[in-house]
Order: sequence, then C-alpha cells, then structure tokens
Amino acid sequence: MLTFRQPFAPILRNDTSRGAARMANQPDTLIADRYAVLLAQPMPEAGGGLPTFAAKDRQTGDAALIAIQVRRDMPPRAHALQMLTGQIDGLLMPLAHGPAPGLRNEAGYFVVCPAPPGPPLTGRLRPWPEAALIAHALRPIALALEKIAARGVTHRGIRLNNVFEGQRGQPLVLGAAWAAPPAMHQPTLFEPPYSAMCHPAGRGDGNIADDVYALGVLLLTLALGRLPLAELDDTTILRRKLEQGSHGALAGDERLPPIISDLVRGMLAEDPEHRPTPTLLLDPGVARSRRVAARPPRRAQRALPIGDIAVWDARTLAYALAAEPEHGTSALRGGAAVQWLRRSLGDAPVAIKVDDLIRQRLSDSAAEESRSDAMMLMRAVATIDPLAPLCWRDVAMWPDGLGPLLAAAPGEPALAANLEDLIGVEATAGWGALRPERCDFTMLRLDARQYRAWLASRGIAGGLPRLAYLLNPLLPCASPLVADRWVGRLADLPASIEAAIAANPKAVPLDAQMAAFIAARGDSRLEADTNTLSGTAQNPIGLPELRLFAQLQLRFHPRPLPALAAWIVAASAPMVALWHNRPRRQELADRLRPLAQAGMLPPILALLEDPPGRNADASGAKLAAAELNRIDAELRDIAAGTRGRSDTAARIGQEIAAGAGLAALATMIGLAVLG
Amino acid sequence: MRAMARTPRRHSMVWLQGLGCGAVVALVPAMALLLGVLLLPGVLAVLYDRQGGRPVARTVLLCGTAATVVPVLALWGAGDNMDACLVLLSDLRVVGTAWSAAAAGWILAELAPVAALVVLEAITQTRAARLRAARQRLVAEWGFDET
Repeated sequence: MLTFRQPFAPILRNDTSRGAARMANQPDTLIADRYAVLLAQPMPEAGGGLPTFAAKDRQTGDAALIAIQVRRDMPPRAHALQMLTGQIDGLLMPLAHGPAPGLRNEAGYFVVCPAPPGPPLTGRLRPWPEAALIAHALRPIALALEKIAARGVTHRGIRLNNVFEGQRGQPLVLGAAWAAPPAMHQPTLFEPPYSAMCHPAGRGDGNIADDVYALGVLLLTLALGRLPLAELDDTTILRRKLEQGSHGALAGDERLPPIISDLVRGMLAEDPEHRPTPTLLLDPGVARSRRVAARPPRRAQRALPIGDIAVWDARTLAYALAAEPEHGTSALRGGAAVQWLRRSLGDAPVAIKVDDLIRQRLSDSAAEESRSDAMMLMRAVATIDPLAPLCWRDVAMWPDGLGPLLAAAPGEPALAANLEDLIGVEATAGWGALRPERCDFTMLRLDARQYRAWLASRGIAGGLPRLAYLLNPLLPCASPLVADRWVGRLADLPASIEAAIAANPKAVPLDAQMAAFIAARGDSRLEADTNTLSGTAQNPIGLPELRLFAQLQLRFHPRPLPALAAWIVAASAPMVALWHNRPRRQELADRLRPLAQAGMLPPILALLEDPPGRNADASGAKLAAAELNRIDAELRDIAAGTRGRSDTAARIGQEIAAGAGLAALATMIGLAVLG
Repeated sequence: MRAMARTPRRHSMVWLQGLGCGAVVALVPAMALLLGVLLLPGVLAVLYDRQGGRPVARTVLLCGTAATVVPVLALWGAGDNMDACLVLLSDLRVVGTAWSAAAAGWILAELAPVAALVVLEAITQTRAARLRAARQRLVAEWGFDET
C-alpha cells in the first residue's frame, strides 16, 4: 500500500527550466529535474478523474508519487501551485509541475503529488458512524482546509472520487485539485448551486466556504452511505437546490445523526457567509451551535413560465433568466417578470429595482441592442438574487473564473463572443456595483478596466488570446506550429519554433496565438515589440517580427537557430526591398546567406535594420529622385525645344552670313586702300 | 496721360532715301549708274526679303558691295564719266563678279542657318543621350519605376 507521507526533499517549485528545455517529447524527461512519470503505470482512480500515472523521485528513489496530467485547454491552478509548498496533513500537496511526454508521446504537462493512501471513496460507500465521521472525515479535512485557507488557497475539488481512504480508522485525505481549473470537475451535487450553475471552467477559486459546502455534502453522503439525489440529473438537482435550499433538497427528511445533521444544515447554507469556517468545524460542538437563521425562499402564488422553467420563487427566477436568456429578456421587457414579482411574489422593492433597470434599458436606444439586453439581464439577475453569479447571456461565471473560461473559449466560439462582449463593456464592474457588500468592488472595477484595455490591444497580439494568456500563467502556447510541444514559457519557444520550422519549412513561424503568448509572457520591451507586429498572410515577416525573434533568441535561447534563420532569410525579400539602393540590396542578400547558416538572428536584424545605413539610403534615394526629376524635366525641354532651336540656328546663321559679308567688304576696302 | 504714354510715331525715311538717291543721280550720274547696275541683286533682295531686319538682303548687299569697291575706284580714277561707266558695265567680268558676289552672299545667307541648326541639333542630341544614360543609371541603381 502506498502512503503519501513520504520524506519529501525540498520542492523545486516553478523551476522547470532545464526540464522544459529538454521537454521535446524526450522519454526521459524529468519534471523539475527529479520526477519521472511512469507512463506504464496508470493510476486512473488517484487523480480525481484526471489521467494519472505513477511517478518516481529520481533523487530519493521514492516511488509513492503520482503525476496528474493536465489538459492543454484547462490550465493548472498557478496560484495554488505557487502557494502550496511543504506538507499539509490530509491533503495531496503539489510537489512539482512541468512538461513531460504523455502516454501517446504527445506533449503533456503533469502535476506531481504524493500518491493517495488508498482508493477513493467512490467504490467504498458505506454509512459512517457519527464519531468516525467527525474524527476521520470532518476534523482532518477541516484542518487541511484551514491551512490552505491561511495561504489564500481553496481546494474546490472535494468530491467522492477525489477523497481517499487508507485503512479504516485512518483519516480521509483530500486529493489533488491543482491540475485543472478550480471546481471544473465538481459534480453539481457537491457544488453550491450558484457555482454549479456556472460554466465548469468559470467557477473560479471561490472562497473556503465553497469547500465547506462540498465537505457538508461529503459528510451527508458518508452519513447516508449513498449519494443523495443519485437518480436525478444535474439540472434537476440544481433546480431543486434553488427551490428548496440545498439542505432541504439534499437532506430532506433523511434521518441523520444529530451533530452531523446540525453541521450539515449550516454547511449547506446558501449564503457563503452563513456557513461555518473550517476553524469552527474543528470543534463540532461549537459549530453545530452556531445557527444562522435563514428564511426559506418566499414562494409565489402562481408560477411564472420562462422558457421551460416554471418559476415559483426569486432565486429560481434569477436562475431562469440566466438559463433562458432570450425568454428571460422577453419576460423582463414585456413586464411579466416585474408584474409577477410585485403581485404574485409580493416583493415590491425588488420589483421596483428591476422596473428601473428595464426603464433604463428602454431609454438606452442608442446602444447596441444585444449588449444592452445582456447588460439588463445581468443586472436583473444580480438585483433579484445577489448571491447569483455574473450571468451574461447564456454564460454564468464568477469573475475569478474568467481566466480558465478564456482558456476554454477557443473551442466554443459562442462563449468567446460572449466573453469579448462581457469584457468590452466591463460587465464585471457593473455586476459588482450592484452587490458591493459581497465583493471587492474597487478591485473588480480596476480588473475590468485592465482587462478591457488588454482586450483592446491592437494588432495580431491583442484580443482574447492575449487576455487568456495573461490570466492563465500556465496556459501553454496554442499556436498550431508548436501544437506537438508544451510551450509554457518564453524560454521554450525559440527551440520549439526552430524544431517546427525544421520539420516543416513552409510553415509560418509567427501567428496570432504565438504573438499573444509572447506579449503576455514577455516583459514591457517584448510587449512593445509585439504591439508593432505587422505581418500579413502575404507578407508574414517584416522587421518587427524579426526584431521580436532576435530578442527571443538573445534573451532566452542564445544558441543557433539555423532553420528559423534560413526561413527568415528566404522570406526577407520585403525587408531587403525596404532599401532603395539596388546594389546595396544585392550586397545584403549576399551577406545574409552566411548569416542564415550561422543561425543567429541579431546579426541578421542588424544588417537589415542598420539605422545609419537606412538613413543614408533614404537620403540617397531622395537625392536620386530629385536628380531624376531634373533629368526628366531637361529631356522634356529638349523634346519641346525643336522650334526654339530652329529659330536660334536661323538667327545665328544670319548673323554669321552678315558677318562674312561685312568681312568681305572690309577686306576689299582694305585691299583698295592699300593699293 | 494716355496720349503721353503713347510711343512716339516713327516717320518714314523713304523720302529721305529717295532724296539721297536723286541727289546722287543728279550730281554723279555715272557713279549712280554703275552702282545701280552692280548692286541690282542687292536692291532686288531688299525688295523681296520680307524678314525682319532683312538678313538675306543685308548679306547680299554686303557681298555685292564688296565686289563693287574695285569698279567704283576704277570709275573714280577714270574721271567719273559716263563713258568710263559704260566701259566698265560692258565688261562682263565686272558685272559678273559683282553679281556672283551677291549670289554668294545669298547662298551664304541661306546655308548658314541650316549649318547652325545642324550643329545645334548635334549638341542637343549629345546632351540628351548623356541625360538618358544618367537616368538609366539612376533607375538601375535606385529602382525607380521605368516610366
């Protein structure tokens, strides 16, 4: 039996440089220079549903490790990986992370953790006695949650297949939740309804109260010895949670041990602020006595149909507006929702607020129709249910889930369009303004403004891809050119491009994804270089692109890149054509060939850029143009001057003739006088 | 004011020329006859040359006058009488020389502009060829469009 309590050596965190440099699908790649992924030993149950393999520490020989594989479009949790160092009992802590080849020799990325002490609870469900629940489930997990909360991290992966049990009588161990966006793989059952209704990638880190909720569901499940609502689908579970409250929906009339019943009631509270903290849960006696009076949702006298959803209370109305945005917009603009709020539900204050929003929308005729409707819908949801997430058209998300959501967006064009709109109008700031007591509105507003500015970045390096890379520090470059490699850092990029160009010399070495990646990962100078990129499909490389490549080579890969250099030289005609002087062009072409073979880009850049030479060339071209104009003018004068020359010739000829006659006369007079 | 600005009227000098010629005919009729015969081509050239400044007539007169110097001196030496004048005029060499000189003057006046034009054209074409060569060099060196 593997045990996770291993004498771990100091963890090399965020230092995958040497491993990454050799990453290129080499079978012997080590993560953080010490952990080998044993692809021949898959451990499908150890990673909470993610592809997992055994791993081995080459330095200590410790083989009780697992490596959880990361999907390209689901980046690991950078903040958690950065903050979680050392060891926390009851939790599979990340030891290292980095690229390594996957099972089919594809470019993979793994998070290495200690192996769990036993199988997950999925296949070992049984009713747990109250004492065992408190001693082996509640306390150890609450303790682990307390410790990670102290580091500003949430787990967001407490579910049956990610909680492990060694032998009976041993504390449960929380699995790793670091190799995918937070709560992405959480089933609806284990998520608070306001998180479950979000896009799986957009649930965000949330706060520790969300983990407490999941722990409450876990306690309930273990107390019952079975999954509650197992026969229902996710949508039904979610609606039941909203309509009846989570505790009512899950626990219902179930008979639970008294302490567990009290604890679960508090832990499943809809309002995160009403749930006990992990610290409080360490003392169940105190925790059960802390009861927060939460009123059950007010039920209307008649249902309001919105799409396929029959709405009976305000929370469900907010959910229906978010889930059925078109029908929801119609209900709002047509007045049915306000009327229902006022008359059937009897919630006049909310009705007035929503009515104001609709009036504001109707007076906003100049704005873009679709965006205005989406904004109205978002505000209406936030007004009706302040606990609800941000709902923009058919996307529900928490603002801290924007990064992973953007990472998932390339595969979902509609989602990408919605996110672009959402960021473009700073919707998160508007959403925060409606519920300032439940969020840090100032930060939300600053973030929204910053994201909008990044989104508005011009050029091929701007837009959603750049924002996605900025908000996901571990998202690999999604350029098709380096699709067979895991390029997560700029240092890995030059060698990857070189290999790709060497394999396919017809490929273009820079595309929008790569430019966005460089802009996001680079410093201000590289960012400035990417902002000036001007390549087109017909003319993919120019001086700005060459400048960027030269910078990358100079700073991250000071070794020859002959294939890339040869490609650039072969495509350098437009750059050479920037010079006016033809002999100089020929000279450049002659000098570029040996430089391409040397594979160093800065000398190529220096040769093609050469500011003094370019200035002299420009001046020479200017003078030559002036000279050409003068010559053309003179030639035109010559062509037009035939008549003038005839007149001149006639005048000169006549003068010559008269002079000759005069000379003859003078001669004759002279001869006569002289005798 | 406008009248004052007008250019002064040029009076015809024909009457003065006629008076001079009349005086010569009256005072020295033999000399006048000799000059009249020998300078006849020049007089005709003056009558028929309509160009400004009468360049052809001018050259014909000058050349004819050059050939008239010797007969005039001979007539003057012979006492300036009609007989001597007739003797001179009856000598074909005298008249032929004078008229040939006038003819030479006419030919010169006609050919000199042509020769000058040929020379000028040659100079111009040489210059144009040099300019075209320089232009071609510039175009080749700086890659301007061939327009």
